[in-house]
Amino acid sequence: MGRVIAFRVLGSIGAVFGATILAFVIMRVLPGNPARLILGPLATQHAVTALNHQIGLDRPLYVQYWRYISDFFQGNWGYSYSDGESVRKLIGERAPATIELAVFSFVIAMLAAVSLALLSTYRHRPITDRIVRGASYLGFGTPPFFLALLLLIVFFSTLHILPGPDGRLGVQATPPPAVTRMYTIDALLAGQLGTFWQALEHLILPSLALGISSFSFLVRLLRANLLEVSREPFITVARGKGLRRWTAFRRHALPNAFLPTLTAGGLVLGEFLAGSVLIERIFNWPGVGSLVFDAIVKQDYAIVQTFILLSAVMFVLVNLAVDLLYAVIDPRVRIPTVATA
Amino acid sequence: MNGRFTPSEEPAVSDELALSVRNLSTVYETGYSLVHAVRDVSFDLRATERLGIVGESGSGKSALALSILGLIEPPGRVLEGGIMLAGRDISKLSDRQLGAVRGKEIALVLQDPSSALDPVKTIGSQIVEALAAHEPGMRRAAGRRRAAELLREVEISQAERRLDDYPHQYSGGMRQRVAIAIAIANNPNVLIADEPTTALDVTTQAQVLALLDRLVDEHRTAVILITHNLGIVSDFCDSVAVMYAGRFVESSGVDHIFTAPTHPYSEALLKCVPNPERLAEGPLPAITGFPPDLSKLPSGCSFAPRCPVGRDIARCHEQTPLPHLVRGPAGEASVECHFAEQRIAEVRV
Repeated sequence: MGRVIAFRVLGSIGAVFGATILAFVIMRVLPGNPARLILGPLATQHAVTALNHQIGLDRPLYVQYWRYISDFFQGNWGYSYSDGESVRKLIGERAPATIELAVFSFVIAMLAAVSLALLSTYRHRPITDRIVRGASYLGFGTPPFFLALLLLIVFFSTLHILPGPDGRLGVQATPPPAVTRMYTIDALLAGQLGTFWQALEHLILPSLALGISSFSFLVRLLRANLLEVSREPFITVARGKGLRRWTAFRRHALPNAFLPTLTAGGLVLGEFLAGSVLIERIFNWPGVGSLVFDAIVKQDYAIVQTFILLSAVMFVLVNLAVDLLYAVIDPRVRIPTVATA
Repeated sequence: MNGRFTPSEEPAVSDELALSVRNLSTVYETGYSLVHAVRDVSFDLRATERLGIVGESGSGKSALALSILGLIEPPGRVLEGGIMLAGRDISKLSDRQLGAVRGKEIALVLQDPSSALDPVKTIGSQIVEALAAHEPGMRRAAGRRRAAELLREVEISQAERRLDDYPHQYSGGMRQRVAIAIAIANNPNVLIADEPTTALDVTTQAQVLALLDRLVDEHRTAVILITHNLGIVSDFCDSVAVMYAGRFVESSGVDHIFTAPTHPYSEALLKCVPNPERLAEGPLPAITGFPPDLSKLPSGCSFAPRCPVGRDIARCHEQTPLPHLVRGPAGEASVECHFAEQRIAEVRV
């Protein structure tokens, strides 16, 4: 167990290290001089050299790299070139919106995947199975931004039952008192049911658009796992003990089918947390994705480079958490095989 | 084909019927084909009798076992047939009603011990589950104690400690012992063992078989042992049924099948058993051809295309043989072959 954990943690550190090197190298090989970029085309060569020296670009590469990663891990992510604000503050302000959307979307995708996979496998009804598989193909083939527009046209423009692309709350609404800065939770904490409802309504369409392709992936995976596990002899053995169909399925098929889905779930959550530039853009969602979109347009490298590294680190952390969870719940990982005759 | 014939020198088997199967047929129905896995099988199993069912892979042995327990899953389906367990027809029971029967009156041991246990549940919990299924509200401590007793009964040392192990911490032979412990947990009257030793190495095979032998003897359990190993049948069983293409083509006491196999298929099967004398004679004979595709069964006798006797006889290809009751030197047999009488007469000469 200890060995397993040590291995996974070391592996994750390696992955983060690799990501920092990659981000660093990409930044160095990009054309253009940051100092020139900051000072603008009219600045003198003297000023550019001075700034180069000031931000350390004339130092050896390993020194630059060391400063780069030590700054990153200390939270010194530099300042936005466009408005001079600290990148840490900018991303910190935007993160709760992205996290709220990611978690909500993940929960919806996961719940839908589990229930539809169950529906299509448990009773051996070929028609249900075919419908679920068809739906998952649709989800696979539909680009999220297209689905986002479609959802807006149907539920906002035509049916008027859900709010349009106006961010996290209605235009005139005031956010609930900031605690977690996730509006649904904060609204509940403050007891503002109206605000909670509004925040929830605003979450639905972007969550669906964001989650659809991952849902398709998860439902297919889970369905295949369930089918495979439900054919395992240990299910027959459980039934042979006198267990009801559902009891045998719930106790033995579900946990075994769920294990491989855990890894996939981790990947999906990691992806969601890294933010979706397109979906946030379409729904005017004030998250990290929108911030990065604007930063790219304005060539605001400080934000972009931090975002790249940050999403890499987060992705690695989520997957590390999944691996550790595995070690806790799967006895085959937790306890080594002891050959005893 | 109702006859199950106990050899006269085997008085241990009583006349009381533990299980009686009548005209059981099971099919697997896919969009493209209808596979007849079990075709019109009837037999009786007396209390404490041990019936061996032998046949090649794909002859419908496992489907028969699952059909008796009502565990055929779609696309499979039991077409018809009566299953009398201790005088009560269980073939029409609902799944809930059958749940009270399975594991309690009739239990199952499967072939592959590596997949017969849930890999993420402890051995103890899987044994307790078998007990608790028929005793709701059983206390935790009582369940554990009885699970440990069962483990001891299947000769696993340090039973209490090993209850908390997971299947991957057990060897193949030990896992099969656990599977047996689960099957006998509620002291069933009938045990169906589907190739219980096939996946084990030879030494372990003998040990597991000896264990099974002792347990069913002590508990006075009737056994249906499904195997393709005739050696196991001769050691373990009182009677035998040879299954081919979903049918019982020959059934008799064990002595008959080894002295006067009457169906050409039984004879061919027996010739395939390796033994030292025969090895000296050269390579083992194999049964020519392949088992028939159960979705495209030939008309007449299913064995006819491969049969050394009936291959060229029109009647064998046209007319399905009915069970013929014959008496050989080592007891009676029921044989589905047009030439049964003729063949047994040749043996007697």
